[in-house]
Amino acid sequence: MHFGLTEEQEFFRTAVSDTVERMIMPHVEKIDETDEFPTELWKEFSALGYLGLRYPEELGGIAADPVTSMIFYEELSRGSVGFAQAVIMNTLMGTHFLYRFGSPEIKERCLVPALRGEKITTMCFTEDQSGSDIANTRTLAKKVEGGWVLNGTKNWITNGPIADFATVLATTDPALGMKGLNFFLVEKGTEGFSPGQTIHKLGARGPVTGELVFVDVFVPDENLLGEEVGRGADYLGEILDEVRCMTGAMALGIARAAFNDALEYARKREAFGKPIGEYQLIRAKFADMATEMEASRLMVYQTAWMLGEGLPTRKIAAMTKMFATETCLKVVDEVTRIFGANGFAQEYGPQRYFRDARFLLYGGGTHEILRNFIGREIVVGR
Amino acid sequence: MKIAVLVKEVPDLEAHVEIAAGGKALILEKKRVLNYYDEIAVEAALQVKQSIGSAEIYAVSAGNGTGIEALRRALAMGVDRVIHINDPALEGAGPLVVSQALAGLVKREGFDVVFAGKKSTDDEAGMVGPMVAALLGIACVQGVTALRIDGKDITAKRETERGTETVKASLPVALTAEKGFYTPRVPQVMGIMKAMKAEVPKVSLAEVGVEAVSSPQVRGYNRPKVRLPVKMIEGAASQAASELVRLLREDVKVI
Repeated sequence: MHFGLTEEQEFFRTAVSDTVERMIMPHVEKIDETDEFPTELWKEFSALGYLGLRYPEELGGIAADPVTSMIFYEELSRGSVGFAQAVIMNTLMGTHFLYRFGSPEIKERCLVPALRGEKITTMCFTEDQSGSDIANTRTLAKKVEGGWVLNGTKNWITNGPIADFATVLATTDPALGMKGLNFFLVEKGTEGFSPGQTIHKLGARGPVTGELVFVDVFVPDENLLGEEVGRGADYLGEILDEVRCMTGAMALGIARAAFNDALEYARKREAFGKPIGEYQLIRAKFADMATEMEASRLMVYQTAWMLGEGLPTRKIAAMTKMFATETCLKVVDEVTRIFGANGFAQEYGPQRYFRDARFLLYGGGTHEILRNFIGREIVVGR
Repeated sequence: MKIAVLVKEVPDLEAHVEIAAGGKALILEKKRVLNYYDEIAVEAALQVKQSIGSAEIYAVSAGNGTGIEALRRALAMGVDRVIHINDPALEGAGPLVVSQALAGLVKREGFDVVFAGKKSTDDEAGMVGPMVAALLGIACVQGVTALRIDGKDITAKRETERGTETVKASLPVALTAEKGFYTPRVPQVMGIMKAMKAEVPKVSLAEVGVEAVSSPQVRGYNRPKVRLPVKMIEGAASQAASELVRLLREDVKVI
């Protein structure tokens, strides 16, 4: 068994890490402070070609395998989880269904520009009464001559207020639960489609997050992203494990950033005549953090490898998302303690990591939902 | 036009460095990168190629197993090909042996311009560029901050302690890059993927006509003296000045 990255993957990691440090790190504090979408940085970063990471070369991508993609998500989140969130929307969730089911015209009009960063995209699941519980979706899609009419309100939509197009989850009949779900492409400028309130978030700041409102929004038949009506939940299953693994990679990235800051601090900060890193209780924190981060790393990259091999990943991906995120939460907490009172100061990084890490609790399933699912898989089986 | 770029792999400036027990060796965190000055040299070569329309750029590095990362980075930035001089005799080699190896290879491959960084960020010796130029018997302009090429003639600017110097020379020439010459580009992902997959050709010292010679040995390492912490003096300028004089007189005792 071989658990390491290849020489090529290590090189990719170094290159992405360097890009993050040169291009993104100088803007991290401003992105967090202003909570505004960093348009100039977006343009500069998009020009490097990373947004097409997981798509074929003919669409402007590089057909990266899941392990390589996870390296990218981890390194990006080590820099700025807010910016990473916006990028990953274009790289993965906001473009996948256009790639799978979009007509050549839709690909040309929306997908290819999104992979170049010329269009900003998003994915709309959450509503006031439904998050992880997608079967409770209330946004309604009604079949009409030549297309569909959408009505409803989506909430917690990353990039929502500034998106050029959105992949929208809607139901043809709430009574059908999971079997009523479908994805639709809705483009900016479509009559009845408008942004609602913006949410002021605790962390993961930068991408604008908020409501999207659909009032009698007509979309043509080709905007139904799927081969059959009512199979939206099945299609979601295609990327669910990748999304959960990606969230684990983001958690690992935040944890590493916090850990590295704390390590540097513990080596330099003196108390009672010696660096605090020389005290046993501080060393114990590093030992515990490093051990659990190593376990997270193994889970993230094992799951990524399994995704690449086409192996079943539903359970391990859920475990990975949950474990890596919980580890990240522990690490960012310990790091604020290692920094002492400075961990409570806006001028230092730990408070940002502490806030950012909590963002990962919700996307891809809350941990209450995931524990329930994993437990059921183990006890009842399929 | 054929452009050779000499590159070195160095520890990342952020890498953790410790002096080994006994003080004879360094323990370096395994984070290795392309020397920053060499990145500027690679960027300069790419800019020359862009300005004159066509050129072949190759990057070369010498080391015992080290140098591959630096060469891949140069490939990712856009050089056409790379060559690694890989030989156990290069372990701990001094600037002269490295320069002989690089000069031997560059002579074999051909060149019109040889670019190098002004110095490396680890040893900071700044000798390889000029030594290679001397071994090749060509002119060398050190610390270039601006360059114009007109046919066979070049005009380069370099910063000296007394001001800017403008130097004219003819090809072939060696140029070492100083900070401010260019900002090295961040590689595009396509370049990174190309570099990831590239086979890096290796040659031995013998193949570039070099017999290993002895190199200077490091006798020991010492940490720099710890600087006293910075003390900020608050308040109005006149009061701050009085406080500064008092501190210099009473605390530091230098006046």
